[in-house]
Amino acid sequence: MFNILSLVFKYIFIIIIYLFIFSIIRLIYLDIGNMNYDDTDNSAYLKLINKMEDLPYKISEYYTIDEKLTFGRNQSNDIYIKDPFVSKRHFQIIEDEGDYYLEDLDSANGTYLNQEKIEDVVKLRNGDIIKISNIEFLFVNK
Amino acid sequence: MIKKGAKSRQPRNLLFLFEALSLSLLFLYQWDSLEKSTYITAIGLVLIIYLSNFLLLKISDGDQYIFLIVTMLLSIGLIMIYRIDEGLGVKQLLWISIGILTFYLTYFVLRYIKGWRNWGILYLGLSYLLFLFTFVLGSRIKGAKNWIKIGGISFQPAEITKLLLIFIIASFYSNKEKYKDIKYSNYYLVGIVYSFIALLFLQKDLGMAVLFYVIFLALQYIYEEDRKLIFLNIGLFLAGGLLGYVVFDHVKVRFVTWLNPWPYIDNKGYQIIQSLFAIAEGGFFGTGLGLGHPYFIPHADTDFIFSAICEEMGLFTGIGIIMLFLILVYRGFKIALRQKNKFYKILALGISVLFGIQSIVIIGGVLKVIPLTGITLPFVSYGGSSMLSNFIALGVLQVASEDLGLEDEHYEIGE
Repeated sequence: MFNILSLVFKYIFIIIIYLFIFSIIRLIYLDIGNMNYDDTDNSAYLKLINKMEDLPYKISEYYTIDEKLTFGRNQSNDIYIKDPFVSKRHFQIIEDEGDYYLEDLDSANGTYLNQEKIEDVVKLRNGDIIKISNIEFLFVNK
Repeated sequence: MIKKGAKSRQPRNLLFLFEALSLSLLFLYQWDSLEKSTYITAIGLVLIIYLSNFLLLKISDGDQYIFLIVTMLLSIGLIMIYRIDEGLGVKQLLWISIGILTFYLTYFVLRYIKGWRNWGILYLGLSYLLFLFTFVLGSRIKGAKNWIKIGGISFQPAEITKLLLIFIIASFYSNKEKYKDIKYSNYYLVGIVYSFIALLFLQKDLGMAVLFYVIFLALQYIYEEDRKLIFLNIGLFLAGGLLGYVVFDHVKVRFVTWLNPWPYIDNKGYQIIQSLFAIAEGGFFGTGLGLGHPYFIPHADTDFIFSAICEEMGLFTGIGIIMLFLILVYRGFKIALRQKNKFYKILALGISVLFGIQSIVIIGGVLKVIPLTGITLPFVSYGGSSMLSNFIALGVLQVASEDLGLEDEHYEIGE
C-alpha cells in the first residue's frame, strides 16, 4: 500500500516543485514587465541626470508630469528632497494645452534652466536641463 | 489563468499542497511509531509557513519571493530529514519555527534601530570573541574543531561569524571616506579577513574558510578601488591553498579523493562514493520516498542531504533545488541593484553571494565536481545554528529589499 502511494507521489512531488518554480519565475517576469512600462510612454517626464548613487538622499530616476509637478524640501511636494540648498517650495512645472511651463517659487538659491537662472515663467522644451543646487533633471516631452 | 491581485496566492497554495501531501505520506510511512506531538508540530509548521508567507506581504513592502523560495527549500529538506530520522525531523521542525521567529526579529530590529553601518569595530570584536570561545570551549565533531556545546545544544560559532564578516566588509566600504585618512586602511581589512581564514584553517573547517574567502573576494572585486589588491588576494589564495595542500593532511585527502576516489573506496573515498551511488540509484524520478537506502550515505541529514534527496525524490528534484537557489540568488542580486543605501546594498550582495557559494560548494562537493568540503546546504540541511544564521541573513535581505532611502545620513535642515 505504502509502496504504491510512494511511487505515485514521487511524480506528484516533482510536478508540484516545478509548478512552484514556474509560478515564481512567472511572477518575477511580470514584475520585470511592469518596471519597463513605468508609464513614461506618453506624458512628459523629468529624468535625473546625476547618478542616483551620488546623491545622498531618497530620489527616483523618473518623475512623470501630469498637470502639475512641484519640487521642494517639504514633504507635500511631488518631489521632495532633503537637501539644505533646496527651499521648502522650490519650483513647479505646470501643463497648459500640451505645453509645460517652469516657474521658480521665490527659492533662496534659484532654479537654473540650461545654465541660466530663471526669473519668470519659462516655457520648457524637450531636452531642457533644469538644475537646482547640484541636482540636474532632463526634461523630456515627446 | 490567474486573477490579478491574487498573484502570489498560487505558489503559496502549491507549497501548502506539497507540504500536506508529503507529510501525510510520511505519517503513513511511520504509522506504527507515530506520536501525537509529532502530528501537532507538523500541522503547526504548515500553518506557520503558510501564515508567515501571508503575513509578510502585509508587513513588508519589499521582496515577496525570497521567503516563498526559502520555505519551499525548507519543506523539501524537512521531509527528507524526517524520513531519515523522526527524532531529528521533530527537532528540525523546532529549529525552523525558531528560525522563522528569528527572521521576523531580525527584520524588526534592523528596521527600527539605525546606525548599523557605524559599528564595524563591534562586529570585529564579536567575531574574535566567537573564535576565542571556539578554541577554549570547542569540541571536535567530524574532525573539525568548530562546535561549542552548552547544555546539550551544539552550536557552530562560525555560522554567526560569516554574517559578521559581511557586516564588517559592508561597514568598511560604506564608510570609505572616513577611513581615507588612515594609510593602507584597505590592507587592514585584508589582514582581518585573512586572520579569520587562518583561524578557520586551524579549526580544520575548510568549507567555511573557502566561503569566507569567496565572500570577501566577491565584495572586494566590486568595491575595491585599488585593483592590484585583488590580484594580490588571488595570488595569496593560490599560495595558501598550495601551502595547505603540502602542510595539512586533511586538505590533501580531499584533493586525492576528488581526483580519484575509487582506490580508497573503503576508507577515505567512502563518503563521496556512497553519495555517487545514491544519486545513480535514484535516477531521474527517484526510488520514491521511504523506498531508498539513504542510511548508506554518511551524514545524509546534513552535508550529504542533496544526495539523499536525489536518491529518493529523483534527479529532477535535485535540479529543482538548484533552480530554487538560482532564483533566490537572482532575487538577492536584484535587491542589491535596486537598493540605494550603500551599506544595505553591500549586505544584500554579500548575503546573495553567501547563499550562492554555500550551495555551490556543497552541491558541487557531493556531485564530485569540486573537492568535497563539509558545509551545510542552506535551509535544507539539518542544523540549528546554520538554520538560525541563514534566517538572520534572510531577514537582512528582506530589509534590504525595501526602499530605505539613506536614513543613516543626517542632513541639517536650513532655509
